[in-house]
Amino acid sequence: MPGTTEIGGLLGALRAIVARALEASLVVLAVATAVFFALRLLPGDPAALVLGDHASEADRARVRASLGLDAPLGLQYLRFLGGLASLDLGPSLRRPALSALGMVGRALGPTSALAGLAVLLAAGIGIGAALQSVGPWLGARRVWVSRATELVAAVPLLAVAPVLTYLLAARARLVPLPGDPDSGVAGLAFASALLAVPLAAQLARVGRAALEDTARLPFLTVAAAKGGTPARVWLLHALPVSLGPLVVVIATQLGALLGGAVVLERLFERAGLGTLILEAYASRDLPVLEGAIVASGALFVASQMLAAAAHAAVDPRVRS
Amino acid sequence: MVLCLLPLVVLATLAVLLGLGASAPPGRLDPAAAFGGPSALHPLGAGEAGIDLAAMVSAATLRGLALAISVALVGFVVGTPLGAAAALARGSFERFVARACDLLQAFPTFLFAMAVLSAVRHPTRLSLGVVFASTAWAPFARLALQQTAVLRGSAFVEAAFALGAGRARVVFLHLVPNLLGVVAVQLGSSAAAVLLGEAALSFVGFGPEDGVSLGQLLDQGVVAMLRDPSILVLGAVAITAASASLLVAGRAFAAGQAASRARPT
Repeated sequence: MPGTTEIGGLLGALRAIVARALEASLVVLAVATAVFFALRLLPGDPAALVLGDHASEADRARVRASLGLDAPLGLQYLRFLGGLASLDLGPSLRRPALSALGMVGRALGPTSALAGLAVLLAAGIGIGAALQSVGPWLGARRVWVSRATELVAAVPLLAVAPVLTYLLAARARLVPLPGDPDSGVAGLAFASALLAVPLAAQLARVGRAALEDTARLPFLTVAAAKGGTPARVWLLHALPVSLGPLVVVIATQLGALLGGAVVLERLFERAGLGTLILEAYASRDLPVLEGAIVASGALFVASQMLAAAAHAAVDPRVRS
Repeated sequence: MVLCLLPLVVLATLAVLLGLGASAPPGRLDPAAAFGGPSALHPLGAGEAGIDLAAMVSAATLRGLALAISVALVGFVVGTPLGAAAALARGSFERFVARACDLLQAFPTFLFAMAVLSAVRHPTRLSLGVVFASTAWAPFARLALQQTAVLRGSAFVEAAFALGAGRARVVFLHLVPNLLGVVAVQLGSSAAAVLLGEAALSFVGFGPEDGVSLGQLLDQGVVAMLRDPSILVLGAVAITAASASLLVAGRAFAAGQAASRARPT
């Protein structure tokens, strides 16, 4: 009875999706809990953090009341979780006219664009380099592709990004500074390209190893024997089989990518989650700080789930 | 194998010599000399508010290397027995440790550090070290867990249990010595990651209060980019050299592992 198995498969898929979503929300809850208790249990009065050491007791009491810090800790925690669930953490301390989560929402866009475009660029460049380093197109010169990849992988983004910015944006003026609000697509592309460099190098290394493994399998010999051109053999036959490890690399590097995005936003003074966290930290704007950190955790978990779904889509062997 | 440690030794020696030759401690301000080029008093020039760049780069490199190496060693010492014990216990403890490693390794360390440090009013190098160490054990535990899963069925483990050894004895006396070679390979990349993490955190403003860090140096370089790009180059070169020397030093252990594998048993 094919109908029954179809329903069973559908139920299984549904169960897997629910389990994933449950696990993802647990991770976000853990992040929120860690941030909440770190800001309240570590030594130091949050009101003193906000106002500085020399504020009067009356001012501190006012800030404590506006943050709800005079309530018992358990009640504060429940209010905080309720605020997250209803997407309302109250107004920002520094700019009382704006809601904290509204500011976080506006910062989420630029950071997602930066990280998303970086993943796409890195996938393109990395897979291209991996194909060039195993395919027949470059002949003996292809070892230089993998040597260059090793070299690029050893140079940290933190050191390379400011130097490239100086050379390309400040001296040669080939690209606009991505922090300039008028820099538009070119600025975004430049920042994403910088962020993509380490990931591309990593993808090229892993992609080369995966393609070399695939190249030993007999079906590629068959494809070549049937008269397939090298491009057809590598792109149509070898590449799809080797995509699995590449998706895994992207998933494991997403955390580093978000960290890199914060560094680049600070370097370019570009709007985004990282800039918002740093500003909120400097001015001790607790509602914004909590919201921004939980939002970046959620962004990370969501992209992780996307990567897992992509992995299942390209490699049927991991579907269970 | 010893050759792999050479870049690290050379870099540290250079930093010590540069620090000994410096005219002022790294924090001394000399506003009149701010952003001045190299002179007899300041061999590498002076940075923001006239700090001596030679003293700064020397102290920042040495402190960064010390932090990175100690955090990697703490992770190694904590993670290896933990992973071995988890794989030996099997069942839910093994699953729990494996899942915790997955989560910690995938979660952005940088974000985690920012979340914790935002609660500390004056972060010190020690608080940075504690934050990094709280996640640094995960890759070591992961490797130890995988390797112990292979070893736990072998005859010497069975023999130790048969002779009446307890779990702790088997982990520390029988399993851990057999894991060292495999797990130590992680030391270099862990240390390099901590070095870069500390530099990145102080670059964005979460660094130690004393301001002596490679990230701070890089930040000054960015501020003074158009006036004097040499500070930027100095910072970038110092960060690259420090992280690369740690990575290369880590290979000493990989080479040792290959040698012990090749030895006939």
